[in-house]
Amino acid sequence: MIRVSDETVPVRGGKLNANPDVDPVGRVLGTADATPLQFWTAVTPGNYLQLDDVVVTKRDLPDREPVTIAGVVTQVRARHEGAQFDSDVFAIADGTLPAMVQEAAEITTTRVDPELYVPPAPGAVVHRASGAARDAALHFDRMERRVPMGTGRDGVPVFLNADFLDGTRGAHVSISGISGVATKTSFATFLLYSVFRSGQLGADGTNARALIFNVKGEDLLFLDHPNTKLDDSTRAAYKLLDLPAGPFSDVRVYAPPRAGDSSGSPDVSSRLTGVDSFYWTLEEFCSAKLLPYVFADADDERQQYTMVVHSVTAHLNRFAVPAEGGISIDGRRINSYGDLVDHIVEQLTDDETRSTWAGSAINMGTVNAFARRLIGSKRDLARLIRGDLASRRPHQIKTANSAQVTVVDLHNLPDRAQRFVVGVTLKTEFEEKEKSGTGRPLLFVVLDELNKYAPREGSSPIKEVLLDIAERGRSLGVILIGAQQTASEVERRIVTNSAIRVVGRLDPAEASRPEYGFLPPAMRQRALLARPGTMFVNQPDIPVPLCVEFPFPAWATRKSESGPPPAETMRSIVQGADPFAVVGSGGGSDDDIPF
Amino acid sequence: MTRMYVDAWDPSYGASYEGGDGGEGPGSSSSAQVDLDVEVPAAEWAPIDVSPRTRMPDVVFLVDGVRRNDAGLWTAEEDGTSYAGLAASYAAGVVRCDLANGIAELAGARVARGLFTASPTATDVQAGSVRYEVHRIHGTGEASKLPAAVQGPLTALEIEISAAARDGGSDGADLLIVDGPLRNRRQLPRTIGYVKTQQKHYLPAAQEAIVPRLRPSQRTPVFHLGTVWGGWSWYLRLPGSSGAPWSGVVRVECSPDLTADQAIELAEVSGVTLPRFASSAYKDPRAPQNLVPIAGLERRLRGMLGDARVLHRALALATARSR
Repeated sequence: MIRVSDETVPVRGGKLNANPDVDPVGRVLGTADATPLQFWTAVTPGNYLQLDDVVVTKRDLPDREPVTIAGVVTQVRARHEGAQFDSDVFAIADGTLPAMVQEAAEITTTRVDPELYVPPAPGAVVHRASGAARDAALHFDRMERRVPMGTGRDGVPVFLNADFLDGTRGAHVSISGISGVATKTSFATFLLYSVFRSGQLGADGTNARALIFNVKGEDLLFLDHPNTKLDDSTRAAYKLLDLPAGPFSDVRVYAPPRAGDSSGSPDVSSRLTGVDSFYWTLEEFCSAKLLPYVFADADDERQQYTMVVHSVTAHLNRFAVPAEGGISIDGRRINSYGDLVDHIVEQLTDDETRSTWAGSAINMGTVNAFARRLIGSKRDLARLIRGDLASRRPHQIKTANSAQVTVVDLHNLPDRAQRFVVGVTLKTEFEEKEKSGTGRPLLFVVLDELNKYAPREGSSPIKEVLLDIAERGRSLGVILIGAQQTASEVERRIVTNSAIRVVGRLDPAEASRPEYGFLPPAMRQRALLARPGTMFVNQPDIPVPLCVEFPFPAWATRKSESGPPPAETMRSIVQGADPFAVVGSGGGSDDDIPF
Repeated sequence: MTRMYVDAWDPSYGASYEGGDGGEGPGSSSSAQVDLDVEVPAAEWAPIDVSPRTRMPDVVFLVDGVRRNDAGLWTAEEDGTSYAGLAASYAAGVVRCDLANGIAELAGARVARGLFTASPTATDVQAGSVRYEVHRIHGTGEASKLPAAVQGPLTALEIEISAAARDGGSDGADLLIVDGPLRNRRQLPRTIGYVKTQQKHYLPAAQEAIVPRLRPSQRTPVFHLGTVWGGWSWYLRLPGSSGAPWSGVVRVECSPDLTADQAIELAEVSGVTLPRFASSAYKDPRAPQNLVPIAGLERRLRGMLGDARVLHRALALATARSR
């Protein structure tokens, strides 16, 4: 996660034209071709246009109403008129050569109304668009539900069409940008906040759930804490967007159990209250067939031992019997992941039992390769797959029973364990959704480093789940907000299925790839310089990507700036579980103290 | 062996001086009465360096005009005779160089168009959006004499714009430089005429020998010309000349109404001012005499004349329609 507060506060605002109708900003150029889709405007001396400004001009036609041509500034240039040589600039600055500075702006058309594609007439007056004209130019007036996502360079709100977010006409968001400066996760969380709090999605927005995987630092663990560094200008920015400036209201945080801690207390260092630990019992591991997710690396799939994985999974599913938190298999009691691994390896190396576990046509080399990997996973997964903790204690990540926002902390986990958690959680959630058969409530899944989980090459169980979400999630109400440094390294089908594409600061080599073809050349260049807090958002019904500045988070992104925790997290000081749930469950669990 | 120099001027402009005898000085001799003892006695003539006490004016105005022949015409008179006509566009402008603030701007410009002909029946021609006003000339009006007729109205326009140059305010120390001889602009205060081409010998041989010896920014002493358009005058060499004896030499003149001391003061000022405006050979075919602001002004004025092809076509259309 990106430490937003370390970065300079983005400059907000821009020039708002007080009275655009009497203040023309320039005239359409006649020395360059004016076309219906792109034209140049000479800027009136004493005025200026900057990139992303919205302008509008009119073209009168004989025999019908005038055509309004609206567009966005995609390039601006200034030059000396009357100078012939480069060195003339010194004579001009010296005051010996008369010359004029003339600025011109390239306008890319966003809307022609009525749809008559005629070029604007050279010499036609160009106005800065504001109010209704600006909304029309950017197609905001056609959006029935508009989710605010920040302000444009002109300091006025820009919106996202909710139809392309909630699955009505499209779904999924793909966010790309360099780690650290692109503020990908901040934008994803801000977008979620806007969905939940803007009220634009109606009941869907209120009931929607979010599942956020926190992969870097503990920054996302404070979503429900107010930000003490919130200043008046940020509050004003939220007010401008019609959003309350506050933390997320209903957040539940899950963290893995501390390694080597038999009580299963959550492994977090900064957030001390309101954190629950998550793990899977051995019984769940066997009955839900989770073993393939231990081998979720893309190059695991290419190996021969996949067959062994599947037969062992099937064997565990069939023969493992739950026993006091742990399992019993082949008459043997197993209480930890390590014991399970040892048992499987033992059974596979034994000539007598091998065929019952792995089938008959398996050679020893393949078994050994499998065993080597499995043993290697012991260290990574031992704290997540438990046989020593009460099975009744709440430990599963289930958004349906959780709060509005569920944060799963992965940052302390090694790579293999991260893949396991992400894969299993997504699979469980998606299966739940499939079972319920309805697209509501919406579930937003925020996943950073998508290139790791769904790489372009190879296949893995997690990639299959993510592809399923990308292709069928729209109808099932599962919306993927994926973030990655390089969209070119993510499975193409996931990127192409994303209706909304967002780009922050890009790496120069990456920016030239075809995945960013939706950015006009000038914008692609700008993406190399984008400041933290500036994103380029492309949505299907606006032909040009919009430059968006989103406000500083109103929730804490680190311990040092977090305000007092919300009241509901206080109970977790005593323990992570709801005591009444245990008592009320009626089970005679003697080894679990209810308080 | 004779040393050779390539003249910096583009051949199409003529040479910067038009010598008759082997390139050793201006062509024809002037019959003017010359008073050489104005600044120093004639016998003591020598190049004069710029005095370190002379301050460059903060604001310098430069006036120039351009002209272009848009179309040659023929009239058909009732009696069957025909007169030649010339449709020309011409413009005059003034540049205000604020050297203290580093701003050179067009302080004023005026464009005019005229139809020059001796035809007694010719009327104004409306060609598209522009109007060619008739300027009737006397005499037979051969086609070859028409271009010269444009000079009169252009000079009038230049005078008009020169007078208006200081309308925007004057700090009392500014300098107005007029491209070409002063002629009837001598009543303008603090004004010098700037003559790029040397066509006449004004000085006796002894004094004229001083001119090739001038180093850049040096000038000759002020002398007085006793002709109708005469007045105080001096030669000055601009920097950036090729090294040929008369290259980069300009003759500067000021109004005869001034006293000798005032003329010498202006000569001093011109010595610090003009070299700064000298152009370089690769940028201007008439370097260094064609001053940088003048070149810029001419470009702007030519731009204001409009596109020659458009005007030519408009004239053709307008005359065709009137038949």
